[in-house]
Amino acid sequence: MTTQELSATSGIELAQASRSNLWQDALARLAANRLAVIGIIPIVLLFFVALFGPTLTPYDFLAQDFTARLDSPSREHWLGTDELGRDVFSRILYGARTAVSVGLVSTAISLVVGLIMGSLAGYLGGRVDILVVWLTDVTRSMPALLLAIVINLTLKVPLEAWMEQLYLETKNTFFRQTMWVDLVLVFGALALIQWPGYARLIRGQILSIRSRNYVLAARALGMPTSRILTRYVIPNAMGPLIVAVSAGLGGAMVLESAFSFLGVGVQLPIPSWGKMISDGLRMWQTHPHLLAGPAVMMAVITVSFAWLGDGLNDALNPRQWK
Amino acid sequence: MGQYILRRIIYWIPALLLLAMVVYALAFFGAGDPIKLMFLREEGDVTYDAQRLDAIRREKGLDRPFLMQFGEYVWHLVRGDLGMSVISGRSVNDMIAATAPVSFQIGIATVILVALIGIPLGILAGLHHNQWIDNTILGSALFISGIPSYVVGPMLMVFLVLGLGVMNVPYGWDGLFSRKAILPMFVMVFGSIAIIIRQTRAGVLEVLSEDYVRTARAKGVPEIMVILRHMLRPVLTPVVTVLGQMLIGIVNGAIIVEKVFGIPGLGRLTIDFTYGVDYPVIVAITLIGAFLVMALNLAVDITYPFLDPRAGQAMTGIED
Repeated sequence: MTTQELSATSGIELAQASRSNLWQDALARLAANRLAVIGIIPIVLLFFVALFGPTLTPYDFLAQDFTARLDSPSREHWLGTDELGRDVFSRILYGARTAVSVGLVSTAISLVVGLIMGSLAGYLGGRVDILVVWLTDVTRSMPALLLAIVINLTLKVPLEAWMEQLYLETKNTFFRQTMWVDLVLVFGALALIQWPGYARLIRGQILSIRSRNYVLAARALGMPTSRILTRYVIPNAMGPLIVAVSAGLGGAMVLESAFSFLGVGVQLPIPSWGKMISDGLRMWQTHPHLLAGPAVMMAVITVSFAWLGDGLNDALNPRQWK
Repeated sequence: MGQYILRRIIYWIPALLLLAMVVYALAFFGAGDPIKLMFLREEGDVTYDAQRLDAIRREKGLDRPFLMQFGEYVWHLVRGDLGMSVISGRSVNDMIAATAPVSFQIGIATVILVALIGIPLGILAGLHHNQWIDNTILGSALFISGIPSYVVGPMLMVFLVLGLGVMNVPYGWDGLFSRKAILPMFVMVFGSIAIIIRQTRAGVLEVLSEDYVRTARAKGVPEIMVILRHMLRPVLTPVVTVLGQMLIGIVNGAIIVEKVFGIPGLGRLTIDFTYGVDYPVIVAITLIGAFLVMALNLAVDITYPFLDPRAGQAMTGIED
């Protein structure tokens, strides 16, 4: 900085140069974190299975084999079969699809809501800010599982009645699938639980970045707001946001399973790991393989997300104490 | 200070009211007809005469408009009456009084155990920064923090009861100091300990390079006294703030653990009674959950200045 002439252009160039380095540095730091690299493998596999699940599974997730009910793991059924003779391994692979799609969609919804609310609060300030912060406080003071239970129990009946009415009016069988009602309720509950975290993060980022000296300098030099946003605010807010999204994605999958475990999630016949665990829990003393398969799977995925999230946090927020 | 507490409490009232209203409205408009459900449960079918249903509805005051019923509910709530369960006909206060002590015992015992085990482990890890002790503790904390309690609980049962055979089936509740409490408590502590370990460790790392720690060591103060006298307080200050976060995890964990191990606490009450769409019970439990979280956050904010006098001066409003 000492010999450089301070002009707007050199400032931008400097920012660009340091920005590309930031991402390269972050990638290098992530690659150096052994646990994070190990954690990436199951997550990549999970997404792969979720995408290509139907072509990979040895059996259909609904196919029942009454000659092989409650079988222990064998060569034909790697993880055994359940009480209806359905292949547990195939159901776990299909469950990956439920977990990933619920995780992605609900994270996307809550991220959009959080982005809008957080930027409104951060930019407009004043009463809007107070209102948004208050709303996030209220929402966050509700334990997530209680919230999900309340939403599911109260909205399921009217939503189903509404769908049935739509079916009667349009005769479109699409409205007959109650699966959609479950999915909408689970997405809604997850989005409601998760948006305050994103909103607060984005609000905090905006408040802190826009008072930084480099933003003040850019403004003093007459840089338009849109360019300040794209050059400084967004790139600098990206790191914490990526960390939060990765944690949120894992968190959404854990919650989805927890809902199913409590009986307020996606109902059968779509397999969900949480539902499989709670079903397995009914017969765990005689047929522990029903419980062990989905539980081990869930443990591997959640630990992977924790490791990757930790690695991302260290890589993208280097200033933070480890 | 008193003014601050008062302002915080005033700040809650609209929050609790909003929550009560939203949950009550959800239950009121969405949950279906509790009278019909009550009949379905007791008599097996709904081929009743509508007049009888209407009579019961009128008797219970369920035919009045939403705002009137909600207003009455709030009025009773202010006087500490949580209403009557529509289905069981029992007072919600009694139902909660019967189940809450179990949940509170579990919650408080979890916090104590987590603090007693987690803080020393965190300090140990911080003092041996980047050595094998640190790596082991941090690695296990990271491992533990990932696995949800509905996985840990059942897997431990399979492992201990079927695999090793060292335990009978832990189902039910004989009080906190009985053998049946060991596994549920373990799962609860397991679920929340990582956050404390990591926070304590981070605090120790920050304090280690402070001048006063170096001075104390240079003066020849024994290491144990350096830890107790000079490091513990600044390290504990941020740890206390994490307690608020932990509580939400504990409430969620308790719902799961109570289901897995068949413990008759608030979590079980939630699961059992919400299926009957008994809205006084749903609203009451929701409000208690939210109230607990808010109250604990306030308690944390009040203890903060005692640990860190600097924070007392800065405490002017509700900030991030």
